[in-house]
Amino acid sequence: MSSFFLATALALYLLTTATFVAHVITGHDSLRRSALALLAGGFAMNATAIAARVAVFGYEAFAPFEEGLSFIACLTVGLYLLIARRTNFTVVGALISPIAFLFCLSAYAFESGGAPLPGRVQTIWLPAHVAPALAGYAIFTVAFCLSITYLLQERQLKAKRRSDLFRRLPSLETLDTLNYRFVTWGFALFTVGLLTGSFLARETWGELWSWEPVQVWSVITWLLYGGLLQARSVGWRGHRAATLTIVGFAILVASFLSVNLVFPGKHGGNFG
Amino acid sequence: MMEREILALGVNHRRAPVEVRERVAMNDDVEEALRRLVLMPRIEESAIISTCNRVEVLATSTDVDGAIEDLVDFLASNERITREELTAHLSVFRGREAVRHVFRLASSLDSMVVGEPQILGQLKDAYTNAVVAGSASTILHRCFHKSFNVAKRVRSETGIASKAVSVSSAAVELTGKIFDHLEDKTAMLIGAGNMGELAARHLLARGIHTLIVTNRTHERAVELAAELRGEAVPFAELQSHLPRADVVIGSTAAEDYVLTAPMVQTALQRRKYRSMFLADMSVPRNFDPAINEIENVYLYDVDDLSTVAEINRDDRAREAGKAEAIVDEEVDSFCRWMDGLDAVPTIVALRNKAEAVRQAELAKSLSASALRNLGAAEREALDAMTSAIVNKLLHTPITQLKQQGRREAVYFVAALRQLFEIEEPDER
Repeated sequence: MSSFFLATALALYLLTTATFVAHVITGHDSLRRSALALLAGGFAMNATAIAARVAVFGYEAFAPFEEGLSFIACLTVGLYLLIARRTNFTVVGALISPIAFLFCLSAYAFESGGAPLPGRVQTIWLPAHVAPALAGYAIFTVAFCLSITYLLQERQLKAKRRSDLFRRLPSLETLDTLNYRFVTWGFALFTVGLLTGSFLARETWGELWSWEPVQVWSVITWLLYGGLLQARSVGWRGHRAATLTIVGFAILVASFLSVNLVFPGKHGGNFG
Repeated sequence: MMEREILALGVNHRRAPVEVRERVAMNDDVEEALRRLVLMPRIEESAIISTCNRVEVLATSTDVDGAIEDLVDFLASNERITREELTAHLSVFRGREAVRHVFRLASSLDSMVVGEPQILGQLKDAYTNAVVAGSASTILHRCFHKSFNVAKRVRSETGIASKAVSVSSAAVELTGKIFDHLEDKTAMLIGAGNMGELAARHLLARGIHTLIVTNRTHERAVELAAELRGEAVPFAELQSHLPRADVVIGSTAAEDYVLTAPMVQTALQRRKYRSMFLADMSVPRNFDPAINEIENVYLYDVDDLSTVAEINRDDRAREAGKAEAIVDEEVDSFCRWMDGLDAVPTIVALRNKAEAVRQAELAKSLSASALRNLGAAEREALDAMTSAIVNKLLHTPITQLKQQGRREAVYFVAALRQLFEIEEPDER
């Protein structure tokens, strides 16, 4: 059942992407409304797929990364829907929806049978670690899309181009302020995920820190986002904040992929 | 009998210069004028649209040529203008064109600045006056209401009113691409040139929080600051006030750069790299073009701004095309409604409706158990009887309708359509 819902969500996310792009090109308001409706539909299907999976396997079904991805996609889309009522946010939507599509596609392609986790992993620390970490990823994903949009708008302004795209972009201040808020919340949740992750590591692997790839990458990402927030007070805003947010997200994706596909470490596979 | 037509007649900014318009103007005595119109035998309904760009009478008549004569006399009756002068500058729209004219007015397609929404309010005033004076009835009621609808459609379906078309307003529009809102922002006006002042006024209209004014001649800065409710600072202190400015407008007669890249760089550091928008309205330029290379700083000169304004003008022309299409569509629909006010189609529709009811009821009764076994002769008799009832009932209203003069018939028709819920032609 879960994969049926996930497939529907996939189709809807793809349709949403096309509709958002069509809106950005033509500017017809009906397209914007359709895109939002389609996205909301995709969100509902995505959430149903997750609920169906939890009903069968329990919450730990989301610990493996491919399942985590569909969770991140769902949260990302949900967050976007919260801010999408603002005008001129369709470009952001045109970035969010293909990302949600890709996340769900990976989840769909790698869907595992829900192999049970080793008993020692199943402590209270598991949800306390996974939930904030995934939420942090979702928030960073939205921040990434806001930053791309920021750089697009900035380029248009600097080059004094007046394309149709230009008209449908939010103001730099709106994007920068939202980006700052998202990164702040993302950082807070990521920090919680990192701490609870360490406790989980102590319970399951016997030590808080084991130079395990995910741990190393996470700390690097944590330092980068933390630095980004800190640097804001000395004027690293606008262009630089957007660039750093994008770099942070790139590291996040790279670590996610390398850890889960190339060097599994103890996070991948069966957490052994 | 002649066709009833809508008529729009008067002077407007397209054909009459202000010297002519001001002599026709009737700013205070519109009510009195409407009362006089009501008394004119060849004018049925009427309304007066009086703004600084136009004085026009909107009327219906079945003798349009006669009505035109009457209205020219009426407009020239204040004796400030001769009939000949008036005729030379007169715009006359009849029938379909008159309806189109009103719809275009409401949608601001005939305004001095296309897309300027002011005219809609003035049109609403004209309508209110006509209602109060009792000079508007069925046709003008609908004409005005439709025109308000058209204006609404044009506003929501086209971008006609949304673009800045002058250089100074283009500058202000661009601030909206950088800043979310202006209520907590500060602008600095360097120099006292006209364009700069105009841009400052636009910024104030958008609610900018603080306006700093500086000028080489300090007295002029003080003067201008007083006028714009801004804050005058000495030109020598430009650099120390620059970090406060989110928006900087240059409009001086200086031959060299008033702002250089290092000056802006220093100011930017002091304001912690919060974005700055600089609009250089002067020729030769006041702001070093290299400023645009600085991160989080956006510099537009006059050429850049006029490109923006020009593109907006093109857009507006394109949007106006869309708006005209909407107007056309609505004019068609309105004219279909007016045609429907003819007695003949209404009589036909009424007969058809009655006949349909009779047939349906007859069929229902004949299939009901009590009458099911009737023979052919009885059925025929029943058919004839019901026909007779319907015809007798309709005879009087239809004869009345035919006997009325055209002038009253239209109201009977409108009432009849409403009472019997006869579908209006434009809603088919």
